[in-house]
Amino acid sequence: MRIELGILFSREGSYRRISEACRSGALAAIEAVNADPALPIELVAVERDPQGNVDRYGPLCAEILRDSSARHIVGCVTSWSRKEVIPTLEKWDGSLWYPCPYEGFEASDRVVYANACPNQHLLPLLSWAFPRFGRRGYLTGSNYIWGWETNRVARDLIAEAGGEVAGERYLPLGDDDVSRLIDEIRATRPDFILNNLIGPSSYRFLAAYTALGIEDASFSPDRCPVLSCNLTECEFPALGSAAEGMIAAGPYFQTGAAPYGSSFEAATHDAVRTLALRLACVEDPGTASLSDLLRVPVRGGLTIDPGTHHATLPVLIAQVQGGAFRVLERWEDVVADPYLSHRDRRVAAPPTSLSVVK
Amino acid sequence: MNKRLRIPDLGGARAMILHRPHATVEALTRQLRAIGLATSDHWPELPAAALGADYVFFDTDMGHDGQFPWKPGEAPMPMIALIGSEAPGRIEWALRQGADAQLLKPVGDNGVFSALLIARQAFESRRASGDEIAGLRQRLAERQTIVRAVTLLAARGKTEEEAFAQLRQLAMAWRETIEQAAARVVARHATEGGRDDRRELP
Repeated sequence: MRIELGILFSREGSYRRISEACRSGALAAIEAVNADPALPIELVAVERDPQGNVDRYGPLCAEILRDSSARHIVGCVTSWSRKEVIPTLEKWDGSLWYPCPYEGFEASDRVVYANACPNQHLLPLLSWAFPRFGRRGYLTGSNYIWGWETNRVARDLIAEAGGEVAGERYLPLGDDDVSRLIDEIRATRPDFILNNLIGPSSYRFLAAYTALGIEDASFSPDRCPVLSCNLTECEFPALGSAAEGMIAAGPYFQTGAAPYGSSFEAATHDAVRTLALRLACVEDPGTASLSDLLRVPVRGGLTIDPGTHHATLPVLIAQVQGGAFRVLERWEDVVADPYLSHRDRRVAAPPTSLSVVK
Repeated sequence: MNKRLRIPDLGGARAMILHRPHATVEALTRQLRAIGLATSDHWPELPAAALGADYVFFDTDMGHDGQFPWKPGEAPMPMIALIGSEAPGRIEWALRQGADAQLLKPVGDNGVFSALLIARQAFESRRASGDEIAGLRQRLAERQTIVRAVTLLAARGKTEEEAFAQLRQLAMAWRETIEQAAARVVARHATEGGRDDRRELP
């Protein structure tokens, strides 16, 4: 059975590298599904490119749902674009499989959240970092919802742990003047830096901070590391050696002979495969609604909570060492808590005795 | 009132919905459960158990005073109005019930989380202002007592200013408010009979 599947990723713009990683994960998954004799479906990509322009997402999403038989779309990188397409999904009876980590506080009936939310990235990352580096954090981010909200949660977690926010600064999207950021970090001497900058701002910042670490060892990765919830392998080419020592949290990192080139590629691959496995199990995959698909019992693929539509995921803490991620900590099957309202879904802080850094 | 938003504990909180069976109730329930609340829906009346709920969502289109186990405006928890018709009379009724936030019907895919936060904040600040006003009213009522105490102390050959300073020192020494100290001075004077300075009293 032939089933059209919408693909909505930007191939240019400030987050192009993430977008391309997601897109290649989706296309590779489609190929794998079509080659899998156990799956009696053939996925056909219906692709639109919003070119990094947030105003193009809604109309292009409508175009896919109106002009093709696709009911499901894999796409969007930024929260802003995701929020733009939700009303369109409602109007045209479509659904979005969203493959990127985000800041939480959403549970749309029309969206499957296939990557991590804060209890699967930020909370484990900070609870892991506090005992190792300290609780005095410098928070930075790009001026939009991801940076603001992730840093707000971080402020609360730092306060809860009895720590202190050494400083907090935002840069406009695409801005690469990081000198003030570096000056403030030099002056406030934090224990760690939480980096929620995206694209070129982030690349420039990491390069400048690496230079600062060479000049003054108090800012080297083993004493004051940069932590991130969304920096992955797909941005290594832009970062070069500036990625070295950075610590990230996510559901997947490429280590050794792992099959996917990057975390985002893996997440999107999993999302498409999960969708395909479920489509193969329903009577009429061409018209099945998202809730029908999430209800059907199926083996394999991601576990999606039918209440929140969020995936249950492993949580990995990994550090860039010698140009590749090395996993330092791992929790399995962490159920998403998008509104941070379930204390029992917080991961327990791991023991520190084996890897004391400071 | 420029305080930072305190996010209430929503995991396991109880929300009651007063609305006839309807798609709006389903959409509301889905959102509330995704956030982590326990829900129940009721029609045509809220049971007495509603007194223990953490949030109440109520229909304004078909609602009336008799549906609640409390008097209008005296709900002991944040109330969120579910508004269909925006007729002023219905809005007025919703406000009289003490609506702290509202959601427009039909309820879709979002809006509940912000309604919960806004209603909680509005409810808490309304309650805090109510307590503060009650306290101020009481102190205002006690102003008469302070005037009498100062007059009594002044009758012993002090100026009014000196008498007031003395009253303040007494309050400090007794570790109580100036109103409480004044009440004590007046009471003592009454039991001691006031001797000859009694004629100085107004």
